[in-house]
Amino acid sequence: MNIERVTGVAVILATGLSWSVAQAQSQETDTKALLQRIEELEQKVRVLDRKRELDGEATTEKAKTTPVVSLGAGGFTVRTADTNFVLRIRGYIQADGRFYPDDDSPTSTRNDTFLLRRVRPIIEGTVFDKFDYRLMLDFPSGSPSTAGNNAYVQDAYVNYRPFSELQFQIGKFKEPVGLERLQSGANLLFIERGYPTQLVPNRDMGAQLQGDLFGGWLNYAAGIFNGVANGGSGDNEQADDDKDFAGRLFATPFVKSENDWLRGLGLGVAGTVGDQQGALRSFVTPGQQTFFSYITGAGTLAAPNVTADGDIWRISPQAYYYKGPFGIFGEYVIASQEVRRTAGTSTFATLRNTGWQVAASYFLTGEDNSFKAVTPRKPFTWGGEGLGAVELTARYGQLDVDDDTFPLYANAATSASKASSWGVGVNWHLNRNIKLSLNYEQTEFDGGTSAFLENGEKTVLTRAQFSF
Amino acid sequence: MKIQHYLKLPIILAATAGLVASASAKDIKLLNVSYDPTRELYVEFNAAFAKHWKAKTGDSVTIDQSHGGSSKQARSVIDGLSADVVTLALAYDVDAIAERARLLPPDWQKRLPNNSSPYTSTIVFLVRKGNPKGIKDWDDLVKPGVKLIPANPKTSGAARWAYLAAWGYALKKNGNDEAKAKEFVTKFYKNVPVLDTGARGATTTFIQREIGDVLVGWENEAYLALKEFGADKYEIVTPSISILAEPTVSLVDKVAKKKGTEAVAKAYLDHLYSEEGQEIAGRNFYRPRSEAALAKFGKQFAKVELFTIDEVFGGWQKTQKAHFSDGGVFDQIYKP
Repeated sequence: MNIERVTGVAVILATGLSWSVAQAQSQETDTKALLQRIEELEQKVRVLDRKRELDGEATTEKAKTTPVVSLGAGGFTVRTADTNFVLRIRGYIQADGRFYPDDDSPTSTRNDTFLLRRVRPIIEGTVFDKFDYRLMLDFPSGSPSTAGNNAYVQDAYVNYRPFSELQFQIGKFKEPVGLERLQSGANLLFIERGYPTQLVPNRDMGAQLQGDLFGGWLNYAAGIFNGVANGGSGDNEQADDDKDFAGRLFATPFVKSENDWLRGLGLGVAGTVGDQQGALRSFVTPGQQTFFSYITGAGTLAAPNVTADGDIWRISPQAYYYKGPFGIFGEYVIASQEVRRTAGTSTFATLRNTGWQVAASYFLTGEDNSFKAVTPRKPFTWGGEGLGAVELTARYGQLDVDDDTFPLYANAATSASKASSWGVGVNWHLNRNIKLSLNYEQTEFDGGTSAFLENGEKTVLTRAQFSF
Repeated sequence: MKIQHYLKLPIILAATAGLVASASAKDIKLLNVSYDPTRELYVEFNAAFAKHWKAKTGDSVTIDQSHGGSSKQARSVIDGLSADVVTLALAYDVDAIAERARLLPPDWQKRLPNNSSPYTSTIVFLVRKGNPKGIKDWDDLVKPGVKLIPANPKTSGAARWAYLAAWGYALKKNGNDEAKAKEFVTKFYKNVPVLDTGARGATTTFIQREIGDVLVGWENEAYLALKEFGADKYEIVTPSISILAEPTVSLVDKVAKKKGTEAVAKAYLDHLYSEEGQEIAGRNFYRPRSEAALAKFGKQFAKVELFTIDEVFGGWQKTQKAHFSDGGVFDQIYKP
């Protein structure tokens, strides 16, 4: 009985023990499998993390060599990641209107008209970090293309820029003389440039050293050029072998000053010297009507002809000042040119013409005025808060022809000896890309007997400018 | 008389300036564009060479180093990185510079002893301490569940040597059966969870990110890992057979000529073959070429049967085209 009982208990105990051992072994196996599973999952997570890390490194590495493409108010730009190569495509279009309220004569040249004043695609940029280039074409209304002056090519040059202090530019570009001439056609205060611009060279083929000294407050430029007539452009010298030398010093001595009243002051002087042969240009009013021309003809006694023939020099002191929304600039030019009158025999004279202008503007909307482009604080939106930038403008200028010009070198009846113009206007910069302008200009003349010269000129000019 | 006197002045000044210039010591800069794991080798060697050059010429020379996957580095030189010398993982990458950028002559490899390879190495396995996966030879690497960490053969020299070592092993084991070799290497890359662009990146993956069971790469890199991260954490397994990896060096003629560093750059490479250069290579776990340095440092390397790329694959040009060019065997077998 007892034995049976003991045996039964032993069997029960043995069964329980073996079940417990089996249970423990099973648990140990489960734990091992679980740990292995955790380890595998950890490895997978690490691999994913590492792959993400490597993708990040690859992206960073790729970004170092991937060109950056951008499109905005400043145009379309592609640049390499290291910025050593840049290509920018932009341009501007000016659709103008010219109106002469006091002239209804159909035979007059003062016809009210709409025209494309400038249509200029621009390609510019940099190669190998230090070489800047620019190609600007122009396709305005009535643009001529001649061997002596290909008007389609405005700028075509390369500027090597090893240091900001010493740069070397070669090609076709603006000679460094007239202040308003050097201002971009897209940033002009008035629709047409003033009188001094007609006495300085425009664009010419040549080579120029230039740079910014003393941390940038003194800009210099000195170059050798084919030489062009006053107000003229050229890219192929056909009249003479001589070259013109042009130079300019322009200082903004307080540009880094804390003093707000002085910071916007800039002043300088520019000039050219050389020898010029060939045709002479007429002078025009702000309404682009000719008020003075040198005599042109076959060079006979009955039809004399006047051309440039000899020394030419120009000098132009110039200055600007900007303070907050207010800005003013002025320049004065003396242009001396030796001329020849051919009427069977030749007669020579040195004629010295002068021109000057002062122009001012004020932003009613409070933008900081500048010689360069102005960005409206709040671009215009229809029905919204933005009004754009509204700028009021005013100017006065004169062009005085040398008295010795008459009567041998110009017709005193059909040409004025002096033009004096005043103008007012408003520029509405809707945004960085669109600008609308309205000018009223009035001109009086000294000398001349034609109805136009006696009555003077009143003109209304309008412009819609789109730049991109 | 006086005018003649003045005329002489600039000549005298110029001559004096010339003498002063030639008498004064120069500061020279070199750029050595190298592959991934040679950082430590060239840090030591550059210091030694600068000292040697200063003593010999009086000139100071500073050597800048650039490191990355060998093929990637070659591409940088082709794209304009101004290397005076290149010290790359394999001859094909230097060939590429000669062919595509024409910065050095096609026969560049004949200009220095041992085919312009001043030291050698091979491919070994680095495993975690205790060798938990029981890795002994190449066959163990293709078993299921073994995670391998080589670099990417498209960008890394070490990775190409590793790929070829595996292929060569399989060929030898299977009586030169190319299909079986391809099958073996396919299995090998099925066990690869992540590919780095360079050997040093693969080491980072294995050691610092603790990924994988076996780092398959340079012998010198494996020994360096033991030295830096501890022999108590890792072990080196040397397979029964591997490939003789011959990193190559060359002057980049056109760049050095343009920079006026030809002489010093040549001397720099020559110095790799000097006893000092060979000792530095040995100290950094590369197998030196010189008998003396090999006798001194050879004991640290396990014995392994080595085959060359010429013997098994017929040279780099053929190998590159068949295995590593776009659409080649590697592209066929590796699907990330």
